[in-house]
Amino acid sequence: MAAYLSMGEAHRRIGDYLSRVTNAISYSDGAALASLLSVSSAPASTPLSDALAAFPDFPRLAGDRFPHLADFLVPLLRAIHSHSIQRFADAYSSFEKASNAFLQEFRNWETPWAMEAMHTVALEIRLIAEKADRELATNGKNPDKLQAAGSFLMKVFGTLAVKGPKRIGALYVSCQLFKIYFRLGTVNLCRSVIRSIETARNFDFEDFPVKDKVTYMYYTGRLEVFNENFLVADQKLTYALMHCNPQSQSNLRRILKFLIPVKLSIGVLPKRTLLERYNLLEYADVVTALKRGDLRLLRQALDKHEDQFLKSGVYLVLEKLELKVYQRLVKKIHIIQRQKEPAKAHQIKLDVVVRALKWLEIDMDVDEVECIMACLIYKNLIKGYFAHKSKVLVLSKQDPFPKLNGKPV
Amino acid sequence: MASHGAGAADGSDAPHAEVVSMGQTNPSPYPLSSSHHSWSSATGSATVSWNNTVDKLSQDTVYYDPQRDVSVSGGNHNVGSSAPLVAQSSMGMTDAAHSHVPYSSSAQHVYNPVEYANYYYSYPQATNDSSVQQGANQHPGAAYQPLTSFQNSGSYIDPTSNTYYNAGGHQTVPGYGSSSYYYQNNTWNGGSTGNNFAQSYQNYSSSDTNAQQSSTSVPANSLPYQQQYNQWPYYYNQSVPSASSNPVAGNSTTDNLAVNTPSGYSYPSSQPPPPGTTSWKSNSVASAAPPMQVPGHQNQYANQAEGHYNQGPSVQWSQNHYAYQTQPYPQKTNSNHPQLSNPEDQQKTVDSNGPSTNLSSNHVSENFKPNLQGSVTMDNSSESKIQVPINPRIAPGFSMVMPKNEKKNSGLDLSKKPAYVSVSMPTNDAKATQVGPDARSIPFSLRNYATRNLNRCKNDAQRAACRSIMEEITKKAFAEGTLLTKNWDTEPLFPLPESVVGMTGTSSVNNLSPFSSVSTPRKRVKSRWEPVVDENVTNKVEQIAKGLISSNIHSTLDPKNRMGSSWDHGKFLQSREALSNKVNQRPAKKQKMGSNLSQIQNGSASSDSEKEHDLTTYYASATALANSPEEKKRREHRSKRFEKSKDSSLKSKNTSANSDALASLRLRRAISSLRTRTYEEGTLAVEDMNWDALTIKGTCQEIEKGYLRLTGAPEPAKVRPEDVLEKALAMVETSQKNYLYKCDQLKSIRQDLTVQRIQNELTVKVYETHARLAMQAGDLPEFNQCQSQLKRLYAQGIKGCYFEFSAYNLLCVMLHSNNKRDLLSSMASLSKEAKQDAAVKHALAVHASVLSGNYVLFFKLYKKAPNLNSCLMDLYVERMRFEAMKCMSRSYRPTVPVGYVAQILGFLRTDTEGCATNEDDGLEECEKWLKAHGAVLSEDNSGELQIDMKASSSTLYMPEPEDAVAHGDASLAVDDFLARTDGHVKRPGEQRKQTSTLAVGTVSCTLPAWPNVAAAGTRAGGGTTTSANAPTQTSYCLSRHPRPGETPRLHAAAVGDSRLRLRRHCLVLAPIQVTSNLKSAISCCWVIDTLNVEHKWLEEDTTAATMSTMKFCCECNNILYPKEDRDRRTLFFACRNCEHQEVSDNNCVYRNEVHHTAGERTRVLQDVASDPTLPRTKTVRCTVCGHGEAVFFQYLSYMLRPASISLT
Repeated sequence: MAAYLSMGEAHRRIGDYLSRVTNAISYSDGAALASLLSVSSAPASTPLSDALAAFPDFPRLAGDRFPHLADFLVPLLRAIHSHSIQRFADAYSSFEKASNAFLQEFRNWETPWAMEAMHTVALEIRLIAEKADRELATNGKNPDKLQAAGSFLMKVFGTLAVKGPKRIGALYVSCQLFKIYFRLGTVNLCRSVIRSIETARNFDFEDFPVKDKVTYMYYTGRLEVFNENFLVADQKLTYALMHCNPQSQSNLRRILKFLIPVKLSIGVLPKRTLLERYNLLEYADVVTALKRGDLRLLRQALDKHEDQFLKSGVYLVLEKLELKVYQRLVKKIHIIQRQKEPAKAHQIKLDVVVRALKWLEIDMDVDEVECIMACLIYKNLIKGYFAHKSKVLVLSKQDPFPKLNGKPV
Repeated sequence: MASHGAGAADGSDAPHAEVVSMGQTNPSPYPLSSSHHSWSSATGSATVSWNNTVDKLSQDTVYYDPQRDVSVSGGNHNVGSSAPLVAQSSMGMTDAAHSHVPYSSSAQHVYNPVEYANYYYSYPQATNDSSVQQGANQHPGAAYQPLTSFQNSGSYIDPTSNTYYNAGGHQTVPGYGSSSYYYQNNTWNGGSTGNNFAQSYQNYSSSDTNAQQSSTSVPANSLPYQQQYNQWPYYYNQSVPSASSNPVAGNSTTDNLAVNTPSGYSYPSSQPPPPGTTSWKSNSVASAAPPMQVPGHQNQYANQAEGHYNQGPSVQWSQNHYAYQTQPYPQKTNSNHPQLSNPEDQQKTVDSNGPSTNLSSNHVSENFKPNLQGSVTMDNSSESKIQVPINPRIAPGFSMVMPKNEKKNSGLDLSKKPAYVSVSMPTNDAKATQVGPDARSIPFSLRNYATRNLNRCKNDAQRAACRSIMEEITKKAFAEGTLLTKNWDTEPLFPLPESVVGMTGTSSVNNLSPFSSVSTPRKRVKSRWEPVVDENVTNKVEQIAKGLISSNIHSTLDPKNRMGSSWDHGKFLQSREALSNKVNQRPAKKQKMGSNLSQIQNGSASSDSEKEHDLTTYYASATALANSPEEKKRREHRSKRFEKSKDSSLKSKNTSANSDALASLRLRRAISSLRTRTYEEGTLAVEDMNWDALTIKGTCQEIEKGYLRLTGAPEPAKVRPEDVLEKALAMVETSQKNYLYKCDQLKSIRQDLTVQRIQNELTVKVYETHARLAMQAGDLPEFNQCQSQLKRLYAQGIKGCYFEFSAYNLLCVMLHSNNKRDLLSSMASLSKEAKQDAAVKHALAVHASVLSGNYVLFFKLYKKAPNLNSCLMDLYVERMRFEAMKCMSRSYRPTVPVGYVAQILGFLRTDTEGCATNEDDGLEECEKWLKAHGAVLSEDNSGELQIDMKASSSTLYMPEPEDAVAHGDASLAVDDFLARTDGHVKRPGEQRKQTSTLAVGTVSCTLPAWPNVAAAGTRAGGGTTTSANAPTQTSYCLSRHPRPGETPRLHAAAVGDSRLRLRRHCLVLAPIQVTSNLKSAISCCWVIDTLNVEHKWLEEDTTAATMSTMKFCCECNNILYPKEDRDRRTLFFACRNCEHQEVSDNNCVYRNEVHHTAGERTRVLQDVASDPTLPRTKTVRCTVCGHGEAVFFQYLSYMLRPASISLT
């Protein structure tokens, strides 16, 4: 709404905003301050942003009115203005300045009354940095704002992750940091954050707010997926799932997106209804393949959703399921054979397996199949041995296909 | 000491000017007039006074041993000086062995012409004293001595010292440098480190230059004196930090200045309000008497002040930094201003350059204050001791850099120097004395007020800001005349400044000196929640311009900045000379000055070229001209400032506009100097370098050129242009020589390309070629370098074999770096077309085969690998084979024919050649390989060789690679590397060694049932390992013999022997087994942390199966030592007494279990972080403060800590 604004009106609105900010600070009203600081969540055109557009001399106004807060207010107004006119890179640099000033002051406040505002700043700086990076990338410039936001948040984290009442806000910031690091692909930087969260003896993890704990567990669980620590990943993601607000479907879906592959790899298969409910059908084929021992289906599914899986980082996990599909296949053969000729139930001719694979249109020669069998035995998916001379896979009489029982392959 | 006393008295200033100063080193005549300034600490008692001696006239040959003389000098003073002086001197004497005649400050100095001489005389001492001071400090302990030695060497760098040098007192300089260093250490905590470095640096800085200077600087003019004086302030500045404790001290220093400036006036009388006095008195007990100045000295003092000013910028800098800590400053500064300004006025007549001096005045005053305090506090000395050792360590790194930096500053300095020269005239300024509120004049209540304000500050930055505000307040009060009348006790505290920005802005801006602005830019970053001062906005603009310069000159790091200050001084010589040559303002002195300076310059041995000299002179004159009109304005402005601070700020804007011209000049100068120097200055931050300016066009026509790491700016004559490089590449490609040669050539090509910033298809081609060659030679590190460059180049859209290299990249990531995330991201980044490429497809297939452990597929792919994919796979083949064997031995029963294995594991190259002979070769090779890895072979009925899988499953192992090297980095093994590059690829395991494998693993030793355990008693036990290629040795000494089941306390470990030996007189904690792989580079310092390693003593029977036990000779009952028979690859236990030998039943000799990882041992070490010589990384974050930069170093305490990372 580009309605005409009189100078006086603009002046008044800006003054109003400024006084609200300063009042919030002087009354230690964290919530009010937080709402005033949310730059990016405001609609494109607000009374304030219009006023700023109409009254270009606002920095001086802020500086004159509240000189002691000028370092904070002036860049803040600039950030709001730049953001409202879609100049995100400028908005970011202004906002970072304001944030720095705010952080500086925040350090001096002994009580964590401004924690909410600090969190808003942490969130805003990330959001604006993302927008700024998008803008910079389209202009062919180096998108480095998110990185800068990361180092700013690290500073914030350093301020919060200390003994004392401010620590309770540290987890929120660390989650914002995780988001940035995951986006930037510099997940190795998460380590220092995790360490300082988890090694702290003076602060119980359970004392953090639940939403932060869930987010934290989600990200650390994802990290463990990367590291292929499936057991720990399972633990963390399950924690996140259990504590996540059941209303927030999208969050649940996100958690499940990683939890399912983890569960698959430790031998727990989801029901189809679950997949349907959370719209995770890309896993449906994988699950079916695992159930049926259908290698072809698995490969197809992987191929079909390759981009998706690669992007989320579960591709390698799913790829590893191949061996389990083989195991399933052998098991099925074994069951059939037991019905046909119970005497030789424990001896599976390699030939049969090769034929089965042929039927699945998997092109493998005898040597390769033999190798796969050896691998299955080696990895404890099959109990038994392989007789090379006679090309027969000899299964153990009891429990030839041991259950994983939560052990990853 | 006696030498000091010998100095002849020189009454008048003029003689001084003419006097030629000699280098200290010469025993011969020393500067006649040496004035001795000792700053006696507040109370006469134990405090050490500082002697600052300036050596001047040659007539009085004082040979001056800075260290020796201190006490003597004091004696001299007594004799020569008038009564007041005497009193002081005596004070000094009494105080400590190293007593100095108190400099004017604390003790009043009546400077009579006669005394003056004494002064001078004493001065030399003083300078020495600076060293002396140290010496004094040193007296108590030898620890200090290192410093003293430094002093002699003379620091070029030290600003003060430089000026001093000019004067002819070389000796003093070093002393100063050291002394200051010393003080700084004492006073400053935390923030001060930077200073220390700089100074220490100075000390270290080339002694040669100093010496030269000393020799050259024959004609010493009054200038030197002044400079000396200047030094003082500087000195003071350094000492400042201590001031925080004693606010008063600062005041006293100011007084000194004041005294100095008014020539011949006795301070007390002339100055109406002695507010500062109180403080003074407190500090200097002895010096109750009003400070008197010797008329002759006045000039000098004035000069000093000016000189100081010139130097000022640097000094100020330091102050600013320091300032945060010290509280009292603001007050002091105020008092100084008026005084200073007066001298300047006087100078006007003489000097065109005046403005600079004016500007600096404020700063100077600040400087002074600190100094006194520093001197006053005794504590410093003791503290300094501790720190001393640190500095030398750090200093060497800096020393390299300093001399070069000096040059840069020259341009800046030039304008200011002339002022000094002119100043030397005796000036009578009654005003000066009257105007200035000296330190004494500051009321006690005001000081309290200041401390109250400062106490609220939470950090240094705030304190500094606070300080500046106090400064303003006092200034204002003074201007209004309310300084004494105001009730400071009831005055409301001003709002706490949030950060430095404002304060630095105000203080420096007011001064208007370009230098001052230089000092500020860095700290300005922070926010400030205090009321904004109007001036800031406009001033900031100017400051930015200046900041630019400053940033160029002074690198961004604090320590460097401080160093920067010292450089400024270094440049003095040049600038002065330039001025004297070009501007004929003071004919009388000019000649001597000029010659003097020129000599100095020549002597300085620094690399200043003629060109540069010309440049500096040019700029100097230019700036001088530019200054003169401004100067007046500034003076006006200054005078008004005290009336209305706001008005002054407005004016400052105007002046600042004028000074923009100056700034641009300086900027240019700075850039030009930067261009020539950036390369040499390793420590200059990379961001500050102007790489565009460094780009050169090569002219070298030689096709062949070896690689040499650049240590300086590239010379166009040695760099090949693009067309020649193309030929060179072609030459390399067709060359028949080995990889080492080619690698060398390619690296030089790459270097030339980089230097010329050529990034096109040629660049890509060079990197591709190199990458391929490196792959073929198995030189993975080099390959990785090329690969990462290629990634960047491809990303820029330069064409090349993109698909081929993305396949390599994939293989490399999946097979060697084993980083899942990297793999994912590189897989995700593949485009659709890329996935259709044969090479990429192949790489993906390899990935699948590795993931599922499908070795059959792997070796199939290995055989039909496109491009050079096989080279990368080559490096993985060994591992894959071993995995395959492990897998097969677990799953196959009972036997598998070797032929089959050979075929599956790619020993047979049937695909390519398929002839029988090859097959036999392959079989044989396979057999060898299997044996090498411990497989059990047998022949079946038909004579076919079979592998007994069940037996093999427990005996398979990975032999220690033939080319294992201490660092775990095979490319470091020169022998093997050469062999490989010549085409003889040794397959690891071809010759198997019968030894235990060594690794970073576990130490767990069994305690066998020793026959003579009982007798062992307090015998020391030592455990060692044997290993053929063990990279490290560890031996333990046990305080006593351990009992079974007990964990022994290990006392010592030795590291780094490649061959482990058993010690004769140690009980061996055998059996020692070493397993697992050498993993990281850290393994080279395979260190066992006695605190963290768990040593498990296992019962013999539990481990008997896997470990051999300690053995004793069945004949003589002595210990048996492991001995290997390399040919038969068996391990024996042999007696060293007799001939007895027995085959060991197990190869495991030693096991070391390290339960921590080195990466987790993170410490924060302040001093290490500022060492510029250490490699840095930005990939980690400090867990404490979130700082993003860290240095690598090996932490040596106890020798046993693994390499650790310290975060800054």
